[in-house]
Amino acid sequence: MSKAVGWGAPRDAGWALPRPVEAGRSHEGAALEKAVGRAWRAPALWSLGSSAFSVTGLADPGRAAAAASREMFFRAAWSLVLRRGGLGSRGIHSPGDTAHSKGKMPPYTNYHAQRSYPMPDEPFCTELNAEQRALKEKEKGSWTELSHAEKVALYRLQFHETFAEMNRRSNEWKTVMGCVFFFCGFTALLIWWQRVYVFPKKPITLTAEWKAQQLQRILDMKGNPVQGLASQWDYEKKQWKK
Amino acid sequence: VARQSHQKQTPDFYDKYGNAVLASGATFCVAVWAYVVTQTGIEWSLSPVGRVTPKEWRDQ
Repeated sequence: MSKAVGWGAPRDAGWALPRPVEAGRSHEGAALEKAVGRAWRAPALWSLGSSAFSVTGLADPGRAAAAASREMFFRAAWSLVLRRGGLGSRGIHSPGDTAHSKGKMPPYTNYHAQRSYPMPDEPFCTELNAEQRALKEKEKGSWTELSHAEKVALYRLQFHETFAEMNRRSNEWKTVMGCVFFFCGFTALLIWWQRVYVFPKKPITLTAEWKAQQLQRILDMKGNPVQGLASQWDYEKKQWKK
Repeated sequence: VARQSHQKQTPDFYDKYGNAVLASGATFCVAVWAYVVTQTGIEWSLSPVGRVTPKEWRDQ
């Protein structure tokens, strides 16, 4: 029985394929054209969704065509946002927040995967060294001839993380709540400053002595005797009712 | 089969400092609000029931 091989070490560990050769990539200029081009080869689900969206509910074929092209444009723009990481691969917060992997440095592509977009068009590693290229060639043949380690290596070329890794929980909420509490505390400092420098002098009617005498006067007048203030006072024992 | 991570994950910022940020933020918030509410002389107009002892006012 062959020894169990796990999913293996990260790309830069000993056994795995060496790190791809660093090479300059300038895809900024053509990004939008590429995105629009890819939109037309988008996965079946997306084009199905877009055609369904545009066809249903629109009687006029002219408007349907215009809506379909608008739909395609927005899908292209969105897939561009996703592919370029939008605000940065660290910046996107998908719902049901999971941990963020470290941003990918060149020569890796601007690849972002999340639960709702798990299979981006581009593979994770596109710049392969000779050994990796040989492996991709071998992949074109029968897959039964691939060893387990080779299959894992191919997976790691195509995808940055497994689903389990991509969806792992994080401790980000602790930092978030800590900062929330900090700013709530900072608000107290603002209110303190306001008390010292903005509030007017406390009127005489709010001093403790005045309030005690005012209370006695209200009790003498039996103010709100049914359910209110005087009803809480025990006039026989001259104390508050328990 | 329980899902498992297949790569060793190095601790990120939140693993290293999350607990400290949470604890210090909460402590700071509680402490400063306790001080401001009780010690700065802000009038909260709490009910006198059970709290204030009436004082005779007609002696003037």
